[in-house]
Amino acid sequence: MSQNLVRTQRKEMLLAYALLLPSLVFLAAFTYWPIVRSIWFSLHDVLLGDPDIYWLGAENYLRLLNDRLFWKVLGNTAFYTLTSVPLSIAAALLLAVALDSKLRGMAIYRSAFFYPVMIPSVAAGMVWVFLYAPGYGPINEALTGLGLPRLDWLYDSKWALPAIVIMSIWKYSGYFMLILLAALKLVPSDLHEAAKLDGISAWDRLIHITIPMISPTLYFVIIIGTLHSYQIFDYVYVMTQGGPADSTNVLTFYIYQNGFQYQDIGYASALANALLIFVLGLIGLVSLTLGRRVHYLGER
Amino acid sequence: MPHVLMPAHAAETVKLQFMYPVGVSGDINTIISGMIDEFNATHDGIVVEAIYAGSYDNTEQKVITSLGVGEPPSLWLPINSSLQTFLGLDALEDITEQAKSDDIYDDFIGGFLGTAISNDRLYGLSFQPSTPVLYYNKDAFAQAGIPEAPETWDQLFETAKALTVRDGDELKRWGLIIGGGWHDWMFEGYCRQNGLVPWEQDKVLWDRPESVEALAFWKTMVDAGCMAPASTWQGSANDFMAGSTAMLYHSTGSLTNLRTSSPFEVGVAFMPKRKTWGASQGGGPIMIAKNQSDAQKEAAYTFARWMTNTENQAAWSRATGYLAVRKSSWEMPEMQEYLVEVPQAKVAMEQSAYSGAFLQVPAYSKAREVLKSAIDRTLAGEVEVEAALASATDEVNREIARVMRRQQRG
Repeated sequence: MSQNLVRTQRKEMLLAYALLLPSLVFLAAFTYWPIVRSIWFSLHDVLLGDPDIYWLGAENYLRLLNDRLFWKVLGNTAFYTLTSVPLSIAAALLLAVALDSKLRGMAIYRSAFFYPVMIPSVAAGMVWVFLYAPGYGPINEALTGLGLPRLDWLYDSKWALPAIVIMSIWKYSGYFMLILLAALKLVPSDLHEAAKLDGISAWDRLIHITIPMISPTLYFVIIIGTLHSYQIFDYVYVMTQGGPADSTNVLTFYIYQNGFQYQDIGYASALANALLIFVLGLIGLVSLTLGRRVHYLGER
Repeated sequence: MPHVLMPAHAAETVKLQFMYPVGVSGDINTIISGMIDEFNATHDGIVVEAIYAGSYDNTEQKVITSLGVGEPPSLWLPINSSLQTFLGLDALEDITEQAKSDDIYDDFIGGFLGTAISNDRLYGLSFQPSTPVLYYNKDAFAQAGIPEAPETWDQLFETAKALTVRDGDELKRWGLIIGGGWHDWMFEGYCRQNGLVPWEQDKVLWDRPESVEALAFWKTMVDAGCMAPASTWQGSANDFMAGSTAMLYHSTGSLTNLRTSSPFEVGVAFMPKRKTWGASQGGGPIMIAKNQSDAQKEAAYTFARWMTNTENQAAWSRATGYLAVRKSSWEMPEMQEYLVEVPQAKVAMEQSAYSGAFLQVPAYSKAREVLKSAIDRTLAGEVEVEAALASATDEVNREIARVMRRQQRG
């Protein structure tokens, strides 16, 4: 290799590092360092507001294994993810397909369905507390109108978490819809036209043409949705504070409770690490199952 | 002597931050900021910056976080249960001597000041003591032909049943709602009414027969369909004002708002008794940070003293329903007139004679959440009364031991 080529390569490397440096600094300061610190803290007795820390070894993790509420919270988090992600993506897909036409006024519909995404989550949470109110809430009024029984929603330990799932679908499906709409535009229209000539039904075209063609985007949306889903904190904080009877307590809220309400930073750190493992496990599961079935355009 | 400064000019303005919560129903925020504006206008050399910090929990978290970075506010207003938590962080200025040379020990009502005392040392000036009381809708009582508020648990149950209104399966009005979010506070009142203070300095006693009976009584009322199994703090006050419940357990601090915002006549009564009357005190003292300059501490005391002086306590009590902390406030002519006009305000004061501090154990915050969860799960029918309280007691006592182990190390 000539000296010149090596020098150019080295220059390019330096430039690449220089360009990466700013974001690396931020990542290190606000992501990697906190992770390292939380691992360190999880092995200690750390009290919020007190600079002294005491070595505990694995005690916080042993507490976690014996903590009845931790397992319930983990179950709640899994329930939320496994319901809200598939349902909101399914709703988004149907919306996207329905709105992927060149008819007049479609832009208005698209904006309408995207609108919930733009509402600040705390405000949205407050609005849904009103919508779900057992006595005078419009949802119960509507149920009565349909001849269905009224529910206590956020006051009922069986319905509170599903109620938050329903509102999440409303909140997020518009966002997924927008991403999927963009993907639909890239599906070659001749495929559909050919299928139509062969008399293939709309449903079969959706299953056999549209979904495989947009599978990379769907996969992306599933990953993003999964990441979103374990981050729910705001709705729980605003709408239920984890209640009633811990039925809506999820990992992020439980970490907050332990760290800030109970000042137990050591245990909160152990929980945060459990969350990290939970999320990595979920993402791993998704990539091992769905990730393998993704079909990339131009792939052989 | 142009280069010698006059003392008045030499004194620099002392800036104080004061963090406070809003713990009841009503426009407390406006009232507090009004008081602070008045203080600032009348006190040269001190500027108090009022920081509204949300609920009691939020306020405590903000204070503790700022303690962690060594920059606490000068003063804050927490729930009295947090006393041991702040003492555990060595955060509080001991104001015993100042208070003794002042009129605090003579004029403050002992039971209120007592909630800021630990091992005979004083760590705050009581500002907004409260107890829960029984609010009732007098119009609903009249319609049902019930002349008086219930005085015993048995009467409470009968009254709640009589006042519950259903249209087929659909509930139109609850007989009773116990204000959610603070129902553990009310529960402690029930234990006291049953002859037990359900905690000691280093443990909780929720597994004692008196406590078990109290929760079993709640469960009976819920199962009979006359008491709501769950509610929220603001929501329960709104439900009462909207006529969705005939009776409500809520803080005395909500009195003025409930009384003036309800479209019906509001009655106030002692919480019904079993073996005795009993209540736990909510609200809290204004605490002063240890970690600040002497000038700030002095100014902070001046401010806390002003917020709790005779006139201000009388006015604050009338505006909110919180109990004035000074004997002299209650003797003021304005206050006497008010009590004639609003006899309901007297009820809470009289009930406070049967009250004590609320759950002043280390790790009280976790203790509260564990108890609330145990109560909720019991009322939702997920777990039996005795088992719920036994495991909650176990869990909390382990936690208290853990926190105390840490304090012994430090």
